[in-house]
Amino acid sequence: MSVVAFERRRTMGAWSESELETILAALKLALTSGDGRGWETGMTENGDVQFYLLGPLPDQACELCVSRIGRRYILEDGSGRLLFEHHSLALVALHAKAAVRAGPWWLVAHVTLLWCTVRQTIHDEVEPWFAEGEELFVELAPHLAMFA
Amino acid sequence: MKRGKNQEVFDERPQRKAEPDARQLRKQAGDWLKQRRADVGLSQADLAARLGLKYYTFISQVENGFSRVPTETMAAWASELGLEPAAFAKHLLMYYEPELYRLLFGTKK
Repeated sequence: MSVVAFERRRTMGAWSESELETILAALKLALTSGDGRGWETGMTENGDVQFYLLGPLPDQACELCVSRIGRRYILEDGSGRLLFEHHSLALVALHAKAAVRAGPWWLVAHVTLLWCTVRQTIHDEVEPWFAEGEELFVELAPHLAMFA
Repeated sequence: MKRGKNQEVFDERPQRKAEPDARQLRKQAGDWLKQRRADVGLSQADLAARLGLKYYTFISQVENGFSRVPTETMAAWASELGLEPAAFAKHLLMYYEPELYRLLFGTKK
């Protein structure tokens, strides 16, 4: 018997390489703007990891912070305003990208993000219900056919 | 002469080596805040809850020196840390805006 080794989702410890790649890919534009922006990682006293997007030199204050608490990713700005939270890092990274983006496309970006969020929620919450209903139907169909 | 608690906690000054940058000073402010929080026996999560924050991650952000205590919540922070708000704000100004602090209050010899 062969066992497929699924990658276990990280809920504790340092950022994984793939997590960092996801965040950095989303913030690539901001980080390559050439104004001295940078990033750092840190940890809370409970050992929850944090990613800080630092603003331009010389102040380099935190502009955005992504934290992972349990299975949830939290996106905050540098003043502690909660911008978004979700268990999908890809979605949180998209919101981070939109938060640092300035320009005429911000509305399009927000609408796209809203659409992505709704789709993800439907995928996570609603689809399992349909799948359950379908399974039940498949199970009961022969019995119902007997009465027909 | 025995000094009051507030006098002691506010007597810590930023360690000025050559010309510390904003990040170093924010980190020093963060360390000072962390110490004050420990003094009153609160965890980061406790403090966040008392400040009405959903998550405690911002407390860590500030203590790690990446963000400042927002001006509009300084009074609340001071109150939860058992400190006098004006002295608390003045002390943080020393780290966050050292030049403004020097202009307003001069440099202590």
